[in-house]
This record gives sequence, C-alpha cells and structure tokens, in this order.
Amino acid sequence: MNGMLGKRAISSLVSLLALIVLVFFLSRLTGDPAALYLPVDASEAMRENFREIHGLNDPVIVQFGRYLGDLVQLDFGESLRKARPAIDVVLEAFVWTLWLALITMTLVTVAAIIVGSVAAFHVGRPFDRFASVLSLIGASAPDFWIAIIGIVVFSVSFGWLPTSGTGTIWHWILPISVLFVRPFGLILQVVRGSMITALGSPYVKTARAKGVKNRPVIFVHTLRNAMLPVITVIGDQAAALLNGAVVVETIFGFPGVGKLMIDSILQRDFNVILAAIMVTAVAIFIMNILIDIAYALLDPRIRT
Amino acid sequence: MKRTIFMAGAMLATTALSPAFAQDAGVTIVLGEEPDLVEPCMATRSNIGRIVLGNISETLTELDVRGDEGLKPRLAESWEMVGDDTWRFHLREGVTFSDGSAFDAEDVKHSFERAQSDQITCEISRYYEGIEITPEVVDEHTIDFTTDPAQPILPLLMTLLTIVPSETPIEFTREPVGTGPYVLSDWAPGQSITLERRDDYWGEAPEVASANYVFRADPSVRAAMIATGEADIAPSISAIDATTEMDMSYPNSETTYLRIDQSMAPLDDVRVREALNIAIDREAFVGTILAEGTELATALNVPTTLGWNPDTKARPYDPERAAALLEEAKADGVPVDTEILLVGRTGNFPGATETFEAIQSMLSDVGFNIRLQMVEVAEHEQYYSKPYVDTQPVLVGAQHDNSRGDPVFSMYFKYHSDGRQSGISDAHADELIEKATAATGEEREALWSELFGYLHDEVIADVLLFHMVGHARVGDSVDFTPTIATNSQLQLAEIGLN
Amino acid sequence: MSNSTTHSTGPTDQQAVTPEAAVAAPVTGGPSGLRRILRMLVADKLALLSALFLVIVILCAILGPLFLAEMASDTNLRARNAPPFELERGFAYILGGDALGRPLLARIVMAARNTMLIAAGAVAGSMLIGSTLGLIAGYAGRWTGEVIMRLADVIMSFPSLLLAVIVLYMLAPSIGNLVLVLAITRIPIYLRTTRAEVLEVRKRMFVQAATVMGASRRRIIFRHILPVILPTLLTIATLDFAFVMLAESALSFLGIGIQAPEITWGLMVSQGRAYLTNAWWLAFWPGLAIILTTMSLNLLSSWMRVALNPTQRWRLEIGGKKND
Repeated sequence: MNGMLGKRAISSLVSLLALIVLVFFLSRLTGDPAALYLPVDASEAMRENFREIHGLNDPVIVQFGRYLGDLVQLDFGESLRKARPAIDVVLEAFVWTLWLALITMTLVTVAAIIVGSVAAFHVGRPFDRFASVLSLIGASAPDFWIAIIGIVVFSVSFGWLPTSGTGTIWHWILPISVLFVRPFGLILQVVRGSMITALGSPYVKTARAKGVKNRPVIFVHTLRNAMLPVITVIGDQAAALLNGAVVVETIFGFPGVGKLMIDSILQRDFNVILAAIMVTAVAIFIMNILIDIAYALLDPRIRT
Repeated sequence: MKRTIFMAGAMLATTALSPAFAQDAGVTIVLGEEPDLVEPCMATRSNIGRIVLGNISETLTELDVRGDEGLKPRLAESWEMVGDDTWRFHLREGVTFSDGSAFDAEDVKHSFERAQSDQITCEISRYYEGIEITPEVVDEHTIDFTTDPAQPILPLLMTLLTIVPSETPIEFTREPVGTGPYVLSDWAPGQSITLERRDDYWGEAPEVASANYVFRADPSVRAAMIATGEADIAPSISAIDATTEMDMSYPNSETTYLRIDQSMAPLDDVRVREALNIAIDREAFVGTILAEGTELATALNVPTTLGWNPDTKARPYDPERAAALLEEAKADGVPVDTEILLVGRTGNFPGATETFEAIQSMLSDVGFNIRLQMVEVAEHEQYYSKPYVDTQPVLVGAQHDNSRGDPVFSMYFKYHSDGRQSGISDAHADELIEKATAATGEEREALWSELFGYLHDEVIADVLLFHMVGHARVGDSVDFTPTIATNSQLQLAEIGLN
Repeated sequence: MSNSTTHSTGPTDQQAVTPEAAVAAPVTGGPSGLRRILRMLVADKLALLSALFLVIVILCAILGPLFLAEMASDTNLRARNAPPFELERGFAYILGGDALGRPLLARIVMAARNTMLIAAGAVAGSMLIGSTLGLIAGYAGRWTGEVIMRLADVIMSFPSLLLAVIVLYMLAPSIGNLVLVLAITRIPIYLRTTRAEVLEVRKRMFVQAATVMGASRRRIIFRHILPVILPTLLTIATLDFAFVMLAESALSFLGIGIQAPEITWGLMVSQGRAYLTNAWWLAFWPGLAIILTTMSLNLLSSWMRVALNPTQRWRLEIGGKKND
C-alpha cells in the first residue's frame, strides 16, 4: 500500500504541475488585470504603474519562473485585488467549503443508503417508485432554481429561515438542503441498483432460502457487498463539493471557495485562482486516499 | 444580534420581529459586493467608498448632496486662493484620529503624497492626473496647494482626498485609521464588516452606534433580507422588487448611453447618428423595463451638474424620419447596411439585457443592421476603452456615474480626442473642454453648457439614453433617505433610528 | 477534478454499470433487434413516456424555428409579463409573456434548439474524443496510456468556469465555443470508462482468440471491442446529456455562458430569476422544460442500462411487473 501511495502521489503531482502551467499561461491570455482593477478613466501611466508593481510587465515566462521560485518556498504570491497573501484568502474560504462538503456528504450518505436499501428490498412497490421519482426530480432540477425557490418560499413567505449569509446554525439549512438534492438522487440510484444486484447474489439467496429471517443480518451483509460502487460515487460527489459549490455559494452569500473562484476568475486575480486550485487538489488527493482505505477495509481482496 | 431570533423564527410571524429587536442602536446594511480592501485612498471606488467615506475617513471638503449648499467644510474650516495658482486650506483644530494622534497639516500632506505615490495604486490619484500639485505646510493647521496649471476646482477635488495619519505606511492597509465618527472594528472576509462609533469624534456623535455590513450578490435576496428583518438598509435593490412601502427610488447619478465610435463608417455620418437617436423610443422603456422615474438624458451628466444645459431637448421618437435619414445617407454612398455591433454588459443594471434587446429590435425596425452581443465585464472593458475594435462599427452600451457636481470628471475622458472612452475627435469640443477645465465661476458654467449643447445638437456624439434611478429598501426600524450620492457614499451619520 | 458546476454524473454510473455490462457479449443489431427494443420500451411505461417526450422536444428543436422565429423575437411591451393561461392574446401566450412581451411558449420552443444543439454537440464531441483517447490509452503501450491518463486528470482538475472564461474571452461567446468548453470538460468521463473497459475486454477469451488468429488491431477494436463497450458509453452519454444541460444553464446563470440575444432554457431561467416574486412564470416554464427533459433522459438511461444488457434484458421482456 505504501508503494501504491508513493506512485499515486507522484502521478498526482505531475498532473498538478501540468495544471499549474496550463492555468498560469492560459489565464494570462484573458485580458489585462490592470484594466479591470483600475477605473475606466484611469490613465495609461496608472495602468503601467499597476503592472509594474505586480510584475505583469515582464515576459510571461519570467513571471512563471518567479512564481515557481516562490512556490517552492511555499509562497503563493499576493492577491492582486485584496493586497494580502493569496493562500490566506483561499484557506479562509476553504474552511467554509470543507465544512459545507463534510456536513452535506454525511447527510447525503446516510440518507441515500437508508432510503436506497429500503427501496431495494421493496423493488417495484410504492415506496421504491416514490423514492425513485423523487430522487429523479431532485437530480434533474437546476440548483440555482431550487435555491431561489427555497429562499422565496422558506425565507420570504414563511419566514422560517434566514435568506442567506452565515452566523447561526439556521443559516446552513438552506444551502445544505440545496446541495443535498443532486448527490442524494445519484447515490440513492447507485445504492438501490447495487443492493438489488447484491440481493440477487447466490449467497444472499442461500441465506434467505435457509430461512435467515433476520433482516438486519442480511442487510448488513448485502450492504457491505454493495458498497464498493457506492463509495466511488460518494467520492466523486464529495470532490465536486470540495471544488466549491459556485452557484449555491453565490446565491446564499456563503464565503466558500466556489464563490472565491468565480470572483477571482472574473477579476483575473491569478494568484488566488492558482492557490485555490492547489488547495482543492491537495484536499481531493487526501480524500481519494481515504476512499482507497475505505475500499480496502470493505473488500479484503484489494488489501494486497 | 438579530440572528438569534431565528431560533424562534418558526413560531413567529416575521413582521412582528424587527421592531422588537431594533433598539440596539446598530444597523445592518446589505450591499451587493464585498470590497476587496477597506483602504481610504481607494474610497472613490464605490464599494469601498460606501463604507469608508465620511464614516472611517474624512476629507477636507464635502459636497452637500442633501441640500443645495454646494461645497461644505469638513476637516478644513475654510479655504481661499492666495495668488493665481495656490489654494490655502485652514484646518479644523482639536481633531484626533482613531489611533489617538492629532490631526494636522502634515497628515494632509502625507495623505496627498501617499495617494500620488507610485508604490501603490491609489485610485483617487486619477483625479489629479496631468496637474502638478505641490502641497506645502504653512503651519500646524494651514496648508497650501500650489498647482500647475491653475486649478479652479481644487476645493472640489479635495472632496476625494481621504486623510490618513502621517505615520501611515505607503502600502495598502487592512486597518484603516481616520478622523471619522466610526472605526473599523471587525472584518470577517466573505461575511461581514463592522464599524463601531468612536467616543472621541470631533463632531456631533451620530445616532447609530454600530454598523454591520453584509454582502449578497443577488438583488432579490437583498430585498428579502429587509423584509425578513435580517438587515435594515439595502441601498440598491432591483426596481422589479421595489413594490412595497419600504422601498424608495432615487436618481443614482448613473447615465446610460451608447458610445459611438465615429471613426468607423457608417457611424461617421451625422445623419446615421441622428437616425440612431430617433429610432429608439426612449419613453417606452420608462415604467416598463426600466423603473418609473427614469429620465431621458440629453447629456452624459445629470441635471444637477454644473453647466447642464436646459435648452438641449431630447429628440422625439420618429422612426419614419430615421428610416428616411438612412435612405438619404445610403443615396450618398454611406454604407448603412454594414453590420453594426451593439455591445452590452450582462448585469450592468437591472434589466440591462432586456433594454439592449429592445434597442436592437427598435434599431432593426428602421433598417439598421444591428447585431447584439452581451459580454462580461472584462470583455466590455475591451470594447469600451481605447484602442477600439477596428474590424466593424461598434456601439458600446455603457453607464457613467458622476455625482460630484462638475462635468470635469466626465468630459475629458468621454469626449476629448485623447479621452480613453471618447468616440469623437473634434477640435472644437477639445477646445471647449480645455477652456472650461481652466475657467471659474459663471464662465465655467457657460462653457460647460455650450459643450453640452454642442455635443448633443451638432456633433450628435452618442446615443444618450437615460438618467437612471436606483431603488433602496429601508426597514421600519431606521430612518434613511437615499441621495444621488448613495452609490458612492453612505454616511452612517445620516441614518436615524425609529 | 473539475469545478462543481460541471461535475460528474458520468463516472458514477460507469461504476454501477461496468461489472454488468462487462459480462455482455457483443450486441447484434438487425431489424428484429429494433422490434425487440421497441417491445422493451413499451414494457416500461415510464421509459416510453420519456422517449415520447424527448421526441417532442427534438421535433420542437428542429421544426419550431421554422415557424416561430419571428414571433419569439418580436417585442411587444403591452404584453410585458403577461400572465399565463390567458387566451385573449392568442395561444402563443398560453404560458404568458416575458419581460419584453414575447410569448414564452414560442421562446421555449425556440430555445429548445440551442439547448439541444449545445448539449448534443458537447456530448457527441466529448464522447468521440474521449472514447478515441480511451481506446488508445487502453491499447497502446504503458507510457502513452500513462500520459493520456494524466491528461485526463489535468482536464478533470481544470476549473470549468475558468475554461469557459478563457475560451469565451479569446474566441467570443458563441454557441460553437460553448460546445467546445462543455465538450472538453466531459472528455475524461468517456476516456476513463473506455480505457477501463478496453483493459478488461482485452483479457477476454474471444478477443485473445482473435488476436492469436492474427486479426488486425483495427478489426479487433471495431469488431470486438467497440460493440462491447458501446452500450455502456451510450448509457453514460444519455445521462451526460442531462448533465450538460444543467451545466450550460448554470454557466448562463453565472453570466459566462450563452449571451442574449441567443437563447437557451438556462438563460431564460436566469433572466427570469429577477422577476420571480412578481412574474414567476418567466423562470418557471423554462425551468420545468429543463427538469422534464433531464428527467426523461435519466429515465431513458436507466432503461437503456437494462435493455442493452443481455443479463438483465429479460426483466423487460417478461414485462414490467415481475422485475423483483
């Protein structure tokens, strides 16, 4: 497993480096940050000065060399807009995103496994149908649509929840509910499908035929076998959330990495974009390792 | 604060909540975007100015936007010209900064030099561009500014210079120190900014003890927050949501217009430009796509601006004549069939997309070959500022905001041959701009007036559309009336509590 | 991994599908095959409904612009935000009017074309490029395979919003360029699935036998491998179609997708959002169109998963009832 890990780390690092190079050069083709940072009637001298201060006048390759040089000393550069270290800006935002992802995925996983398994035990019956259709509608609706309707209904009309922002536990309910919908639908489908297959496998049939009436026992055993594909989906969905839920964060004024990302992209704040990419890449790498460990725990065959 | 009420939110009707909890002398203000900095020398940027100007930092002079007193003293008690090119400011005594240090002429000198420094990019320095200004400390409470060329409106320019202590380093600060009635007490990035009232402020203590600024990009969320009592003031909401009695409209000093790049045919023909102007039924927008109260523009600056010309009249909507003008131009060999690109900015103002779509359809109706392209902010800047796109004729839909009372902040940039967004290159216009900039008093007013008339009636420099109105929503617990300057500043001292 | 707006439904189902689909022998076509598929479709009522709905949408997308183009772009401020279910302005206004008084029904039909075009273009493009690269990665040497897989990683991790801004800034915001953006972001899904399947199929008896018997590499790929993995790819593509539609609407919502006066369902929702409190129908109908289409695609995809899989197919052939 250690050798695997080393190899994985190296290939991830290679991908990350390639990504940094691409982002660094491509993002610099999307216009002059000075034009965006300074007011439209700022003079050429001011623009020139801005570029000089931020080293944007040097050839891009020189800028890149300097960036890499700083990077090996763990210096991610300054945010053009905020005049503070880019990494501080990103980490601040990332903490919010991490919590949001963690809470959402925990809820989604628990709910999807329970509902999906029950549906699998009752294939074709009303509960199964109902769960399937409901999860399907959820997975099919655009999230900004659900978010706005949610605010209109629960905050404005009923006044039950705060419209947006952070501060109390109540502020988390709407964003989490919106984020919950899509992964729930997807994972539910996979759990259900996987459970049906597992329930049809010879050993479960045998157990049932032998008259093992104990549903919990069957459930736990079947679930264990059905979990492998489910974990992959969970990993995928969690990775998506770690990248920041751009739309939801924008609507709810949630200070996560997705909102930061879209703002930085629109403002051409290059260092923040790069730092955000690196931080999320590391987080996703760590998560993938956790997933591998989960695999190994569930399936002894992989543990070689 | 008010957040705790949501614990009980499910049990209570929202309307009952706000008054009961509003007696904490604090207000919550919801803005559209969080400032990247809270840096005094960047206060001319509206999202920073709304928090900093008059709250944390003060200026020597200020413009009276509520009455018609014109320029009022703030940190300077009086000013006069001494000699042809020197202004003398007599500073207020007994003023202290929030860090405890005393305010004196050295601070003013340092603030000016810091803003002008090439080590940081302070935005306010653009207003002093092209003028050689030398500050000289006369005594502790007197300072002279010598300018070259002479600057008749230097006291007006001083409404922009935020004063910081002379110890302030020449780099962007995150802990602004000023002489204002409030001090920055907390900044949780991405969440909120909090200002607290100072006890040792030189002037009258304002009613509001603290202000909590929060940021929501979506205008309907901002409006909803006032309705639910989560915030007290939303200075900018969408006209569509402005239907309750908490809402008020105000001219926000923004002017919407289509900038015409006259170097490209067929836009170099004055008949074509007139046709553009009369093919758009401006009246039809007001009260439909745009809010009631929107005014038709005859100048880039709002009517309260010095020299605004009441004699220029908006051209009446006349599609037949527009079509006829086009025919006439076509007969003279003007390539009126050339495709003209109309560029608009997504989200520039509420209803922007609909406005530009309607304009496109009106222009097409009289025979223009118009293609509409909505773009994001960076692309828009590419079209709006020089060097211009030279592959096809372009109309750029843009907004201009000048609430500072004098056209000098607009005219050079938008109409001088060397202006970065100027679509014209006209010797007479250049001359008028240069003369007016150097003139004072009635002569200045007359020159600006002449320029406005000349641009609108003879040059037909652009398609002037609307003076826009903004909409603010104010909760029951506070008393606040927005002004024409609310876009760029929001003094907490002007907020009363009910 | 890519940014959340365009994140994966694809690989998820890939996992769920792979083990079963991998057991499948090559599916044979032919006229009897078609009738068989139709019969299976009739057996699943939901799938049948979905298929019918999609056919209507496609017809709208193809024929709608021929008849409705003018009506959908004519502004009429008197019918501004006209409420739905009123027939006095004519049937086109049955769903109400938009902020410029254009009939919503006509606009939804018009927008169907762009919406479908973008999603179809992106899915076809990414499937073609992705599966080709996947075939190469699965069949070529270790190093080529490794390089291609790293490339997939890089595309996965490239923030799709940034990609959109880069492409649309450099190449102007047009439908074609948006298709390009969406296609690129979806390539890894097909690439990975194809490679995984190829690696697996290569080991199977009939492929090894063909190799031993001296069949050309091309023949092996096109005759033996592609037919095995095609059902999986098609199932993913159906799901992905739905996903790309949502991604496109999210981009429009954030202001970096399709721009007016072009029109898609997503853009209609995002423009109607401002009016949600006083003219809900502006955002509601196009949103409903998205939901119904995505849902139909999802339903059809799960039907395909069964119908294209010989070990599961019997469930449908016996009839919908006895599938537990």
